[in-house]
Amino acid sequence: MSAEATATPDAAVEVIDVSRWYGNVVAVNGISFALGSGITGLLGPNGAGKTTLLNMMAGFLKPSAGDVRVLGEPAFGTPEMFRQVALVPEREAVYEFLTGYQFVLLSAQMHELPDAEEAALEAVRLVEMTDAADRATGGYSKGMKQRIKVAAALVHDPDVLLLDEPFNGMDPRQRLQMMDLLRRMATEGRTILFSSHILEEVERLSDNVLVVVAGRLAAAGDFRAIRKLMTDRPHTFTIRSSDNRALAKTLMAEESVFGTELADGTLVVRTNELGAFVLAAPRAAQSAGASLFEVRPEDESLESVFDYLVTR
Amino acid sequence: MTWLVLTLTLRQLLGQRRVLFLAAVAALPLVAAIIYRASSGETEAAEFAAGVVLYGLIVTVLLPLTAVLLSTAALGGEIEDGTIVYLLSKPAERWRILAGKLLAAWGATTGIVVASALVGGVVALAGEDEWAILGGFVVALAVGSLAYSSLFLMLSLFTSRALLAGISYAFIWEGVITNFAPGVQRFSIREYTASIAEAVADPAPWIFEADLGTTYSVILVAIVTALAAALAVRRLSRFELSGEA
Repeated sequence: MSAEATATPDAAVEVIDVSRWYGNVVAVNGISFALGSGITGLLGPNGAGKTTLLNMMAGFLKPSAGDVRVLGEPAFGTPEMFRQVALVPEREAVYEFLTGYQFVLLSAQMHELPDAEEAALEAVRLVEMTDAADRATGGYSKGMKQRIKVAAALVHDPDVLLLDEPFNGMDPRQRLQMMDLLRRMATEGRTILFSSHILEEVERLSDNVLVVVAGRLAAAGDFRAIRKLMTDRPHTFTIRSSDNRALAKTLMAEESVFGTELADGTLVVRTNELGAFVLAAPRAAQSAGASLFEVRPEDESLESVFDYLVTR
Repeated sequence: MTWLVLTLTLRQLLGQRRVLFLAAVAALPLVAAIIYRASSGETEAAEFAAGVVLYGLIVTVLLPLTAVLLSTAALGGEIEDGTIVYLLSKPAERWRILAGKLLAAWGATTGIVVASALVGGVVALAGEDEWAILGGFVVALAVGSLAYSSLFLMLSLFTSRALLAGISYAFIWEGVITNFAPGVQRFSIREYTASIAEAVADPAPWIFEADLGTTYSVILVAIVTALAAALAVRRLSRFELSGEA
């Protein structure tokens, strides 16, 4: 994956300096990246612009500025691209009066596959929905609907698969099974992009990641490097102990600590080395003769992690 | 693709609660005909069948109501719940998808209004020799259904309030405004339908008489149908999912 703002010859999906706005609201702001084969995670908090980006890649939204190309063609207004591209939308709705098998079969027939029945059966089997295939989708759980949507998307064996929050509503076992399936598909040379607001999902499934925050590309590249950035960012802890003042003095001698503050019976400590601080805190308490009552990390929400990536 | 969309849409439409409501409204002409037969009114059977049952209840009320409820649901329902993605993420020309939707809305609307016309008309005309008027209205209802379906389907691609817009057109524009401003009758699918019924049945003027000329009505009904369908295809080709981040 690369993040250059120019066309990339071998990329299946190219997003070139793309913006999309709704009236005065900017949903996506000057984003560029290119995707080749393999799995890429599109990570970001809710409302960051992930769905807007995916919809532009699937040709369901026209960029307000910039260019989105899939397999060399503009994504918008090119229905022919769906011979090799598939989208699994975030919305749960399916045709509730159809059985799971009929829903997948309909997709196969609309793709005019030569053996639609066989393709539908195989897709249903791939997502492990064979046992429930003859039940109406209206009675499916959220996780089952997600899986049958994935089956309908896979039925024509696409080269490019775009999935919007595919693990929503799945139980842990279904999640692992779906991850295995996507990994297998990626090893066969497909380009897979999935969005998620859950760090662990992206971490477990993809080496490459695009982090989107407030419509901007906050980070792109190898997941481990981005994870390290997230871990090494400054952290703040609130500590309650039997002697905050003595503890503050001892902690200031630690290399991992760069600031302390006494306030309202608590001690606020700032560190830029999470791992070192976690080891240093009990040691410092012991040498200060203080008992630790509470060590509480502050501001650990995913949003704050994303904010840090944007502002660093 | 068109056939798949057509059968899928018919299942969608016929499984909805609004069909039960339409079935109840579709029974009203039969009720009116039974009341007419049971009473000793002075109106001739053919005049009652044409003026009250076929035009007054079916062309004026049942036809636009059925068309607006089914046509706006055919596409608008899928846009609203997001299932439209499953149709549009296929390598098919957009006109094929729209043709399936239009044929389904047209077929379902025609089925309901023609069944209502046949049942109500047969009861009202039983024992009379005026069956041509019923034949004329059946043909006209099929044509009027197509024009309304095309118009309302197109509306559902341009506004999420297509049902309101369609009902306003049928019952305020055609139902009220055209009565006060006779010139605007020229822009009324209801009047085109009446004119075609008259042209096909060729009844005596005391039985039924339309306000518009046949040639004009046929041309206008064709233009409305084709123009609305063309606009709908164009809109569907540039379709965008509504804004979600």
